[in-house]
Amino acid sequence: MIFLFLTSGLFLGWTLGANDAANVFGSAVGSRMISFTRAAVIASVFVILGAVIQGSGASDTLGQLGSVNAVGGAFTVALAAGLTVFFMTKAGLPVSTTQAIVGAIIGWNFFTANAVDTGALLQIVATWITGPVLGAIFAYALYHLVKVTRRRIKVHLLKYESYLRVGLMIAGAFGAYSLGANNIANVMGVFVPSIPLQEANFGLFTLSGAQQLFFIGAIAIAAGILTYSKKVMETVGSSLLELSSEAAFVVVMSQALVLFIFSSTWLSAFMVRLGLPPIPLVPVSSTQVVVGAVVGIGLYKGVRNINVKVLGSIASGWITTPVAAGLSAFLLLFIVRNLFGIDVGHSTGTPGHVSEGIDFSLLVKYVIIGLLIITSIYLVYLITKENRRTERMNKKYYD
Amino acid sequence: MSLFTRTTRELTVRIDEFFDTIEIGILIFKEGVKAYAKGDKNAFQNHLAKIDDMEGKADKLQRSIENDMIVHSILPQQRSEMVKLLWQLDEIIDTAKKSLNEFYIEIPHVPSPLVDEFISLAEVSGNAAEELIPAARTFFREPHLVREKLIKVYFFERETDKAAFQLKKKVFHEMNELSLAEKAHIRYIIHHIENISDSAQAAADLLASMSIRQML
Repeated sequence: MIFLFLTSGLFLGWTLGANDAANVFGSAVGSRMISFTRAAVIASVFVILGAVIQGSGASDTLGQLGSVNAVGGAFTVALAAGLTVFFMTKAGLPVSTTQAIVGAIIGWNFFTANAVDTGALLQIVATWITGPVLGAIFAYALYHLVKVTRRRIKVHLLKYESYLRVGLMIAGAFGAYSLGANNIANVMGVFVPSIPLQEANFGLFTLSGAQQLFFIGAIAIAAGILTYSKKVMETVGSSLLELSSEAAFVVVMSQALVLFIFSSTWLSAFMVRLGLPPIPLVPVSSTQVVVGAVVGIGLYKGVRNINVKVLGSIASGWITTPVAAGLSAFLLLFIVRNLFGIDVGHSTGTPGHVSEGIDFSLLVKYVIIGLLIITSIYLVYLITKENRRTERMNKKYYD
Repeated sequence: MSLFTRTTRELTVRIDEFFDTIEIGILIFKEGVKAYAKGDKNAFQNHLAKIDDMEGKADKLQRSIENDMIVHSILPQQRSEMVKLLWQLDEIIDTAKKSLNEFYIEIPHVPSPLVDEFISLAEVSGNAAEELIPAARTFFREPHLVREKLIKVYFFERETDKAAFQLKKKVFHEMNELSLAEKAHIRYIIHHIENISDSAQAAADLLASMSIRQML
């Protein structure tokens, strides 16, 4: 039954993989600098690593906003966010999974008469604004650095391009890692309080309950990347964001840095050790950070007429998305509880239903092992296929 | 990854070789016209054979560079411009070869008072193309310096136009001893020599726009 409830989160993960992987590898794939297979394999592996290793920070902040304490509620919240993203995308409105999930959690808070932690909410909203701004600042600085370095080293254009290709792969891997670390909270964050799993020992490593959920969510993201992101990547690379390879590298690197900053518990603790305020660990919209980074490059190039309409649509999305997701969550929670009689959560003052315990943990452990094996086999198959294709092409032209 | 670096290294060498071939081709052209104008038939034949080889080599190199760029997806965003640039550069050596062939087939009569001016016209037109090669090489390492290198190309192209104009004017206005057919033939040959600097200018325009895009 719990796996059925997880489907809404997995669907959210799948859409995230299908759409947001394009922010990481779109420009490189669209411009044919990196093949889709290579990009998809790198993105899938690093999304999973980022989610499992570093996903807890942003997820904890979402938990502060509203700890959804029944699995039925978590399912409905994730479903409301997913549907909001789906319909707003269909209507051509600017939308972000991050903002949708926050709105849906607030909707759950209202429905279950839980108080909204305004401190956490303000922290999250402030990050939505600082994310794209930081993206623009990083992109401006990095682009300047790249340009100055190129002038200094006087490297041949072809060699420079091969360096960029490697750079794009490394930046893409870092971007995918940060995407997994930061955005897994959107996919699985709401399920963490309602599905308490036991720590699982896999011999070589152990995974906490939350990490097991993040792993399953990350597999859904990887599935989205492998099955559906090709078209999006090619569209992003060739039409929406037609960037030079240099600019593409800078954009991906800036986005990765911003997402990493807002999900690294280590960095936040380091800031505290330095006597500075901690970094809020909050899920940020990767698309909006990418737009910020593109604006940063535009500013460096001296573009005077920045499209205010695009910036305006981002700002409007900060309001419309959470409101739409909040309303749909409220409505769906009402339907799920009253029509299907499913527990969707309760006020934190009253004791509620806790999901199945040890047996379910064991089941999840085996599911994870199965998923690990299937994913590894599939990735090896993809790499072999790609290598064979390259060999065939080389033979064709040189034999 | 080793495939990347190996292909890149090989391609860099081949591009340099292509530039060398064009550069040598231009020098041969200049020497060929000089030999013809001075009546040294052996030297002219020798230069004709050499430019034919050079033109064939340039064609082969051009095709292999284009091929590798496509197969290994090198410079995917600038590929069409790169292909156009290679074509424009190849056009220079093609024109030079065609010009020397015109001399060989049509055996135009170069009156002795015009010998020096003919040689000078070939020299200045060849110079425009010659100055283009360092600019093209610079594009690959320091694109921000391309424009200042191209100034010389534009200068020699203008000088070629002026020299050709003066030469044609002299032929048609002052040399009444020549028949109209001879005058028209000389004008035709002058036009051929001029074409080299015109091709160099077209390549220079393309190179200038490519370097601007690289700098942005």
